[in-house]
Amino acid sequence: MIKRYIKLWWRFTLGTSQIALQSRFGASLFLLGKILRFVFFLGFLIVLVGKTKAIAGYSIWQIVFFYATFNFLDTMPQFFFRNVYRFRQQVMNGYFDNLLTKPLPALFHPLFGGSDMLDLIILVISIFFIVFSGMRIEHVTILDVFAYLLLLVNSFLIALAFHIFVLGFGILTTAVDNLIMLYRDLTQMGRLPVEIYQEPLRGLITFVVPVGIMMTFPAKALMGLVSLQGVCLALGVGIGLVLLSLKFWQYALKQYGSASS
Amino acid sequence: MMKKYLQVVTSTWGEISTYRFNFTMWRIRNVLQLLTVYFLWLTVTPVKGQLFGYSQPLILTYVLGVSLISSVVLSTRTAEIGENIDSGNLSLFLVRPLNYFLYWFARDLGDKAVNIVFVIVELFLFFLILKPPLFIQSHASFLLLTLIAIALALLLNFFIGCLLGFVGFWSSEVWAPRFIYFILIGFLSGGAFPLDIFPQWLQGIFHFSPFTYLLYFPLKIYLGALSPEQIAQGMLIAVAWVAILYFATKVVWLRGLKVYSAQGN
Repeated sequence: MIKRYIKLWWRFTLGTSQIALQSRFGASLFLLGKILRFVFFLGFLIVLVGKTKAIAGYSIWQIVFFYATFNFLDTMPQFFFRNVYRFRQQVMNGYFDNLLTKPLPALFHPLFGGSDMLDLIILVISIFFIVFSGMRIEHVTILDVFAYLLLLVNSFLIALAFHIFVLGFGILTTAVDNLIMLYRDLTQMGRLPVEIYQEPLRGLITFVVPVGIMMTFPAKALMGLVSLQGVCLALGVGIGLVLLSLKFWQYALKQYGSASS
Repeated sequence: MMKKYLQVVTSTWGEISTYRFNFTMWRIRNVLQLLTVYFLWLTVTPVKGQLFGYSQPLILTYVLGVSLISSVVLSTRTAEIGENIDSGNLSLFLVRPLNYFLYWFARDLGDKAVNIVFVIVELFLFFLILKPPLFIQSHASFLLLTLIAIALALLLNFFIGCLLGFVGFWSSEVWAPRFIYFILIGFLSGGAFPLDIFPQWLQGIFHFSPFTYLLYFPLKIYLGALSPEQIAQGMLIAVAWVAILYFATKVVWLRGLKVYSAQGN
């Protein structure tokens, strides 16, 4: 069963990649822009920490690790859920009606209907910097690495839940574009450890809109700064959000009135 | 004659008011971006002392100043030019008694007017809630020079926006070059951080780039951080860039019209 979905996802991805690469000029510029954005901000962090020696008590390699992990967690959902950005069009032009008649879960195509292969390059760059900076952080145990990987998966689940919420709102209001960009801007606040923010903003973006759990907890876990309770809380938030988002999706589907294509 | 362009300004204002949800989300996104940069600098800059030559009031004034000035300088409607050309709707403008550049400049002014109103409200709330230490410029000459620098920055961004839109004459890929531009100005205009945190040799290169005069240069004047010679030199460079980009825009526009074709309009 899973093999079937992976096959379908691959077919969709090949199709969207062919469309994206029709214009090699455009694809190259988008890729260049993403790489420049990563490099510029990394350069800025290095200059900044080079002068201050620390940000919120974290050393240069810890900050680089935070940023590389953020970049990985920011890019991974973009890679898998790229079709969410096209969902509004699909609802407006009736293509979504067509999808509902297919022998597939209604959520599959809106979420996984074609990944952006250009993001793979950014993912590879992020993984390189994660490993490179991670190896320069001291006192990291196997348990810390395990907690880090577990919380990475959890962060992906939180991202999945956000995207499902956005799709649900997309059916009810077609306001997908604004919500997905709001999600991106909220998660951008996790580029750096959430300790830089003052309360109550810090609490808000850690627990209410769980950007802190999503972006900061995995890196902190590698540094041994997240307790077992913290890990359990994070997992609870991740799984809870996914279940809630699926309920919301079911509710939204029942309200769907069709585009009458 | 100017009445029709004033009408364009007011209709742009009205258009934004119609799509209130979109605009509100755009403003929320701007506030979130501001919060990230603000708290970063608040955290790293010592309460007493300096970082990169900036005290806390100076750097926080810089950060909040970026928010205010970008609403004037960087908000633009020229992003629609590329679509306008690609879709063939340019044909409608060519038969109208409208100067194409003045039309888009008027649309820009309408967009900026709305953004300024909202950013002032946001910054007011920001001051009320967070009470940041700020530097208030009291010298009238610096304030006047800041306004002149902002006016030059406004023109710079307008012409660059037009040039990016004119890519539509030759390619349907109008968003990719603009995406690169957004990335570049995000860092090279002084939007994320002041450019003088970088080594001297890099600052020397930035000195001659047009991006420096979009945000960084006006703010440095406001902060009183430039000597009269530096201000004069910067103004000359900004004026030179405005002239170069003005002529480049004209040339590209005329060349683009020669290759322009529209179907079905």
